[in-house]
Amino acid sequence: MEPMPQDTRLVNRAYWLIKLRWIAIAGVVAATFFAHSIMGVSVQDIPLYCVAAVLVLHNIISLLLLKRLLKTRADDIVNPIEKIINLQISVDLVMLTILLHYSGGIENPVVIYFVFHMIISSILLPAWESYLQATLAVALISLLAVSEYEGIIPHYCLQGFVACNMGHWPYVLGTVFILSTTLYMVVYMTSSISTQLRKQEEAYRQANIQLQQKDHIKDEYVVRLTHEIKGHLAAIQSCLGVLVNKFTGPLNEQQDEFAGRAYDRTRKLTKFVRALLRLTQMRLSDKFEMDIFSLKHTISGAIDAVRTKAEDKTQTLSFDIEPAAEKAFGEQFSIEETVTNLLLNSIKYTPANGTIRVNAKDNKEMVLVEIADTGIGIPQDEIDKVFDEFYRASNARKVERDGTGLGLSIAKQAIERHGGKMWAESQEGKGTKISFTLPKHSLRQGKKNSDSANQIINLD
Amino acid sequence: MKNARILIVDDDPDLTKALKVTLESKQYTVLTAANRLEGMKKIKNDKPDLVILDIVMDTWQDGFEMSRDLKADPRYKNMPILILTAAKDRTGIDFKPSAGDPDWLPVEGFLDKPVEPELLLTEVEKLLSKKT
Repeated sequence: MEPMPQDTRLVNRAYWLIKLRWIAIAGVVAATFFAHSIMGVSVQDIPLYCVAAVLVLHNIISLLLLKRLLKTRADDIVNPIEKIINLQISVDLVMLTILLHYSGGIENPVVIYFVFHMIISSILLPAWESYLQATLAVALISLLAVSEYEGIIPHYCLQGFVACNMGHWPYVLGTVFILSTTLYMVVYMTSSISTQLRKQEEAYRQANIQLQQKDHIKDEYVVRLTHEIKGHLAAIQSCLGVLVNKFTGPLNEQQDEFAGRAYDRTRKLTKFVRALLRLTQMRLSDKFEMDIFSLKHTISGAIDAVRTKAEDKTQTLSFDIEPAAEKAFGEQFSIEETVTNLLLNSIKYTPANGTIRVNAKDNKEMVLVEIADTGIGIPQDEIDKVFDEFYRASNARKVERDGTGLGLSIAKQAIERHGGKMWAESQEGKGTKISFTLPKHSLRQGKKNSDSANQIINLD
Repeated sequence: MKNARILIVDDDPDLTKALKVTLESKQYTVLTAANRLEGMKKIKNDKPDLVILDIVMDTWQDGFEMSRDLKADPRYKNMPILILTAAKDRTGIDFKPSAGDPDWLPVEGFLDKPVEPELLLTEVEKLLSKKT
């Protein structure tokens, strides 16, 4: 899988933090209920339920803030999200301190839970921000311990759970000291690991981008090369065409045969080069005109274009479309070409008297198109490969020796460019069903659409 | 339209020669030009009945510009133009006037290179018969 960019990862983790908080809130309510009402421990249940309620409010606000931020589609969302997360963690620390105050102060082993906040902070935030959060936690713990020890605020002993030690200063000092060092150590350890992971991930992402750029350069090279070849091929084919069509006078039988063979092979090579160009061109170009178009008319048009070929083999061609699937979003010309090519494939590999059915169905946000034939099918172990470039199924090679092996790759590429998917189901000897999906509306928002609307044609 | 005069403007000499022989098999008189300048000169002097035009010659848009110039000129605007190009494969974009803006490529016919002789002859005949 392609490594995710930094911002997508951060957004996912911001949601993760909110999910964790729901679990924590449930934990607070359950623990309070269990301790107070079942175990009979003397915790201040009403204030604790209030803390839980405030946390609920806090979580809802955090969620809304995050959603609003994502809606603005600002260019830099990393910074504001980090700010929101920072604020959330600080609020959480304060809430945990208040919670502790009403449930025994630092005597309550729940004080260990400060560690969780440090881990989360170290995973989500830059190291120095996590150290600040640790410092805030240490300050809050110290404040709580000192205020309760000095009697500035009341100390609620956890009678029925632990003995009351708040009057004993070495205990208070020791606990605060050990807790503080624990928090800093946790931040140090977790941050160093997560920083390293983040760096590694970024390196993978960069490597992936570089690979894509190299692939692009390769594609451009292929286009230049094949176009050059095609120019020569066009001249060769035209010259041979003059001989074969006897425009220059009659040929003897052998001359006619060899000129014919050469002409045939040249035509096949031209077809192959054309397909290769089309495929590579499609991969290179991200500018194309997408619009809402009538899928019904497009498929009907493709069927009309191939009808005589099917009739030559007395095959039955049928077409059904659900009303909700009549319109799709994309490049009409490209879809018509794709459907035509899939139909020609079906006609080629379906014996005489077979049937070819086209069905277009409504599928929520997408339209599902299926082209099913009663042809030779694809061997089970080759189904996954038929969309690979230059791959030809073993039984297809018997029907036509010189296919390009590019037809289905081109079709799949065209559909994927639209944000759709294409797949094949088949039973050898029984038939093949090629299915693809197309969006009903634009999938891309904003910028990219206006780019493709101002399409320019560039031959170089 | 027998004995019609056809001008081929294309920078590939081998292809041009093959097209010339192909067209001559139907008794057309065929003139050739290897670039835009020579093409315009022959159009002016020899007044062909049809022009077969390549797109990518000295520049990638010679054919586009030439067809626009011709259609803008009242002397030549009724002379049919048949585009014969490999440029479509290069861009993957459909150039047919029906597929887009008729002002953008104002031509009467459009064929992909290389073309089957039969298809070329049918198209030429169709365009010439429309003219009369």
